[in-house]
Amino acid sequence: MAAVPAAATGPLLDTPDTRTQMLAYVARRLALAVGTLLAAVLITFLLVHASDSSPGAVRLGPGATAEAVAAENEALGWNRPLYAQFLDYVGALFRGDLGTSLIDGRDIAADLADRLPVTASIAFLATLLSGVVGVLLGVTAAVRGGRLGKGITTGSGVALSLPAFWVGILLVYLISLQLGWLPATGYVDFSADPAAWLQSLLLPVLTLTVGGAAIVARTANAGMREALAQEHVRTLRAMGTPPWRIRYVHALRYASVPVVSTLGIQFIALFGGSVIIENLFALPGLGQASQAAATASDFPALVGVVVVATAVVVVINLLLDLLVAALDPKVRAA
Amino acid sequence: MSVLPLPGAEAAADEVATEPVPQARRRRGLPGFLRRPGGVFGAGWLVLVVVASLSAPLWRPYEPGQQDTANRLALPSAEHWLGTDPLGRDLLSRIFTAGALPLLASALMLVVAFGIGLPLALVAAERGRRVERVISRATEVFLALPATILLLAVIGVIGNRLYPVMAVMGVLISAAVYRVLLGVAQSVRQRLYVDAARVNGLGSLRVNLVHVLPSMATVVAVQAAQLFGIGLLVVAGLAFLGFGPGEPEPSWGFMIQDASGYIYNAPWLMVPTGLVLALTVVAANELADALAGRAAAPTVRRRRRPLRRAVQAVTPATPADPEAVLEVRDLTVSVDDGPDLVTGVSFSLRQGQVLGLVGESGCGKTMTARSLLGLLPDGVAVTGGSIRWQGRELAGLTEREIDRVRGREIAMISQEPMVALDPMFSIATQLVGPIRRFRGVGRKQARRIAAELLRNVGIVDAQRVLRSHPHQLSGGMAQRVCIALALTGEPRLLVADEPTTALDVTVQAEILSLLRALVRDTGLSVVLVSHDLGVVADICDTVAVMYAGEVVESGTAAAVLDAPAHPYTMALLGANPHVPEGEPVPERLASIAGTVPPPGSWPAGCRFASRCRFAEERCTAPFPALPAHDTGSVLCIRVDELSREHATWEPESAGDETHVQPTPTAGVPA
Repeated sequence: MAAVPAAATGPLLDTPDTRTQMLAYVARRLALAVGTLLAAVLITFLLVHASDSSPGAVRLGPGATAEAVAAENEALGWNRPLYAQFLDYVGALFRGDLGTSLIDGRDIAADLADRLPVTASIAFLATLLSGVVGVLLGVTAAVRGGRLGKGITTGSGVALSLPAFWVGILLVYLISLQLGWLPATGYVDFSADPAAWLQSLLLPVLTLTVGGAAIVARTANAGMREALAQEHVRTLRAMGTPPWRIRYVHALRYASVPVVSTLGIQFIALFGGSVIIENLFALPGLGQASQAAATASDFPALVGVVVVATAVVVVINLLLDLLVAALDPKVRAA
Repeated sequence: MSVLPLPGAEAAADEVATEPVPQARRRRGLPGFLRRPGGVFGAGWLVLVVVASLSAPLWRPYEPGQQDTANRLALPSAEHWLGTDPLGRDLLSRIFTAGALPLLASALMLVVAFGIGLPLALVAAERGRRVERVISRATEVFLALPATILLLAVIGVIGNRLYPVMAVMGVLISAAVYRVLLGVAQSVRQRLYVDAARVNGLGSLRVNLVHVLPSMATVVAVQAAQLFGIGLLVVAGLAFLGFGPGEPEPSWGFMIQDASGYIYNAPWLMVPTGLVLALTVVAANELADALAGRAAAPTVRRRRRPLRRAVQAVTPATPADPEAVLEVRDLTVSVDDGPDLVTGVSFSLRQGQVLGLVGESGCGKTMTARSLLGLLPDGVAVTGGSIRWQGRELAGLTEREIDRVRGREIAMISQEPMVALDPMFSIATQLVGPIRRFRGVGRKQARRIAAELLRNVGIVDAQRVLRSHPHQLSGGMAQRVCIALALTGEPRLLVADEPTTALDVTVQAEILSLLRALVRDTGLSVVLVSHDLGVVADICDTVAVMYAGEVVESGTAAAVLDAPAHPYTMALLGANPHVPEGEPVPERLASIAGTVPPPGSWPAGCRFASRCRFAEERCTAPFPALPAHDTGSVLCIRVDELSREHATWEPESAGDETHVQPTPTAGVPA
């Protein structure tokens, strides 16, 4: 072909190098992550100091005299200027030191390090299962439509409204008591017996998956419908692209961005919501620790749990942002 | 206790943000949600629970602490409608006595959340970019805090006091409220009437109260309903953990906790309380869905194309052009159980020629063009006539059959190149896939062909474009890529639906000359849909002028444009702002009064008669098309008289406001 007119002006819009864009994006997200973590420490720190109780009173218990409490507070450094205490705390935090419990003197960092894997495994497994089940249901609803689609939509609307602790009890009743398939409560360490570990987590994970899968299914359904209504789907059809390819390569890829975001949010929600599930299934995780610390007003433990939980959330958010940026070419530029 | 962020509410926000007439929507919206079953259930159950809970002391059959020791863990009976708990206390009385606290605490959380989130959103939307950034960053931090664990920390510090704790929850959740409402507030502000109000001197507060807030009502309602449900779950969850009213005070969460200890010997105990709590949260969410109007979203169901009614029956009335590659005869396109969109359309096209389909918007040009590829919208189908492509009938083919034609034999480029490409994939990926499919080559070879195709459509920097994603391309560049994509299957026919309408004028000319070069060099045939007679004169060999779903005049482009026989064609030419070189620019353009009648309201006779200057009584009766322009036709009963009288469609006399009348004027891009 000889005389094809070439594009005369501005072949491409000005776009800086993709790698620079990505780096700037990562830097922005990192700054936000650090800021969030510091904010969490500051908020809980101020909260604790705004309390009308004091660590001395907590440690000595209700029977202690005012003088004894005052002396104890003095010894704990409670009366030093706030900023000095805060800087000390942040400094210790960087060394991985979260202080000791007011109740039993245990090392909080070590205690939480033992508990973190329990909560993290529940949240991770539940997110994974929610993702698989939710995407299957949501995509089916969007692609098949009809009565099945309506059923899935309605069912997920109900499922995401159910209180997790109630669902948990129902599952214990059904699966442990009626069917006798799984132990109702208790936790087995992974290193002790991996199979029993998985078994001990299965019910809590299933419980959290009921609501989680429902939310993912909704997102996947809406995302797929939106994707299939896009103009570029018509281009694909006009090119004779096989329907499975349009649905499961192009539309699914389009819907993957909201689905991945939802999964990240789900993980964070499940992580926070684990308190209740750990209580119900007697699992020694972070949630149980935070419940115990709240009940006993164990201030250092409270701050420690918030710090660790926030750190997890922040890291997950960061990973999520990077994943979404990798999935969606437009996000990097935004 | 999952809290953030609320996908439903954001969807609702999107919906409202794109809703052009929020006022009308709102007025319809309030009774509207009660027309959906979910809305009726949601509102009904919530009202029932609220009334029953708040008035429980007046009607409850037993005092919540009253123990019936003979009747512990009883199943439902006439005395205890929902049974009794381990101490023999009446469940019905306890459930509804307990209801007031979560309902009120959740309401408090709402008040705090909106009390903070709403003003912040309004301020951020009003004060511009910098203020918005500061507030948004701060709320992002709040959103990232683990709400449940932070709440427990608050309880650890201030003690087990539900209302202050839920107020803190409201503060935490206000960040999510802000985020959703900000989007809505911004889009409302961008609408013209808000600016107009500001210009009229209304103060900031009044603008917000009078114009912005009412438009946000739906989103606020949707979000409030959803958050209310979340609040209930939070209160119950806290009580479940023992951070609620202590025994003997009843609370939903603790009653469920209590029941969990009796699932061995009294499983019924967990049912009533859990069910009331679950139903209440479901009701809140159903109400939110109904308010958002989401339940009404029709489930997409791609119905199998209805088999054509009369397709086989048609034998071309006029002998088919023996040289034609595409022969469309009496094509009818209709909405399922609805009106016809296109009727009796016939045209033919030879190899290496360009056919223009012209007419105003809403004349059925695009439907006709899309029916060639079987790409009609859901619920629209070819219901009669024939589309013969190289001797083969295309009308009535199944999806699977026509898929083999698409891309390989007939390809399409569309009006909006920027959205015609998949935003998620690089250009290379989008070209390599079809090239491999059509030409059976390997990945490497396909990439080479892709680069070559891009160069063939005039893209110099092919490698760079291959690496790009669609959002990095300009409109003209994207259209070139679309053309390259259409060429991957080496088609013999290109359907181009307004290929230059969305582009800058200079780019339009480039794309047209590219098309012309392709036709010249490859022998491609083109069906070009356009409302622009200048484009048609520029590139088309033959023309079919469409009006209200039918072809009113056809023939060679030169003949039709030089000596139009149909008044509608005359009118289009008179309204055309393109001026041949060397001729003086006319002072005013002609216009065509009125609009194209919508499908379903077409008269039996000439469909243009109501707008035609030459219409007479006999134009209202049906009549057949007459041959014209050698190979073409014209659909006008007065054609001979008009040609004898040398009728033309001149601009109206001076004083007419033709030149400033914005709509609806033919020749102006729709």
